[in-house]
Amino acid sequence: MQNVVTVKEPQSSVNLALGYALFAAAVVGSYAGVLFTPTGIERIFTNHYDFWACLGLALAGWIVRSVGGHKGVIVTMTVLASFIILTLHQPMLLRYLTFAALLFSMGLYGMVQSRNAVRVLLSIELMLNAVNINLIAFSRYVDPVALKGQLFVIFVLTVAAAEAAVGLAVVLAIYRSRQTVDMDKFTLLKW
Amino acid sequence: MGQDLLPPLLSAPGVETWAFYILTTLSICLAIAVLADRVVIRSGFILIGVFGTISGIFLLLSAQFLALAQIMIYAVGITLMVVIALMLTNPRLEREQAVVYYDESLPPLAKIFASCKRNLSLWVSVLSFVTLYSALIGENHWPLSDQAVSPDAVKVLGEALVTNYSIPFEFSSVLLLAALMGAVMLAKGESKNRDDDNVAIVDEAKKQENNLALQR
Repeated sequence: MQNVVTVKEPQSSVNLALGYALFAAAVVGSYAGVLFTPTGIERIFTNHYDFWACLGLALAGWIVRSVGGHKGVIVTMTVLASFIILTLHQPMLLRYLTFAALLFSMGLYGMVQSRNAVRVLLSIELMLNAVNINLIAFSRYVDPVALKGQLFVIFVLTVAAAEAAVGLAVVLAIYRSRQTVDMDKFTLLKW
Repeated sequence: MGQDLLPPLLSAPGVETWAFYILTTLSICLAIAVLADRVVIRSGFILIGVFGTISGIFLLLSAQFLALAQIMIYAVGITLMVVIALMLTNPRLEREQAVVYYDESLPPLAKIFASCKRNLSLWVSVLSFVTLYSALIGENHWPLSDQAVSPDAVKVLGEALVTNYSIPFEFSSVLLLAALMGAVMLAKGESKNRDDDNVAIVDEAKKQENNLALQR
């Protein structure tokens, strides 16, 4: 059994090409939402100073980070400033929806990234809360009389409670048989 | 009384915007802390703060009933359960060890792309946010209504739950019952025929697996 482990980045060109392709597909997909609306192309090129401001902010954060700033402060400032830039000139409904989208993406990142199974469950709770904010914002601004969105939130709360109970029971059961909660070591379904 | 106080307070100019930005700032900072804190049990406690600020946002959207339900179900129930689960699992494993892939010999541009590949989940989530946002600002055909939420919203909700939505309501109760029974079954199941042979076999398999993972 070795004591010193050196892990190297796999340098095969296939992997790199796959990375490029995924990156390009994501960039194209991010603009497709606007592109398919009428006058979408003009809007991207003329009306999107806010995107460019956020990009500049992220670049500035990257430079400060490489000089030696603290990572958490830079990430928090970048996310907050981007959120305020993107929502300040929007109507109220769009602000709530943008906040919900931000929470959802953060929950997605935590769900994919974290190695502790309990933290994955926490991130799923964040994503469910983002969906709840969406539903309540629509019921406030589009349908304030019948309040169907709030009804759906009640059902989502029920399912979330059930999901948390079952998920934590599964984590406990796996912990009992494997003595770990590390996601990388759950190889029960690997063939 | 609070139900009568809230709408005129919110209709004052600028109050909703300021309250929105204060609540969302708190909420985003706490959510980043939940994701970034290396001690899982601390991030479980920080999650209470996130749920509290989100219930404040529900109050801003004049959903008083759901704000209180949010505090009771999420901030107390689910977080308590998460913390208890963390205490039942091994506290030694709470600190996550991040594996750092790093290769000095790559040229600079390749280093940038290697870091992009390493943080692929970050890029996917950022681009999903950008996609959602551009879809949102591209869409402005929502039939917005000028009316305020009716002051007897709880009455509307209760009536809808027992008339139009009675079948989903009943099914959600069945779902809760089944899920809780399943959770009890899963969490209770003690392995009674666990003898020393099995333990030895499992330990051997685990050791082999660790060796494999180290050699990889």
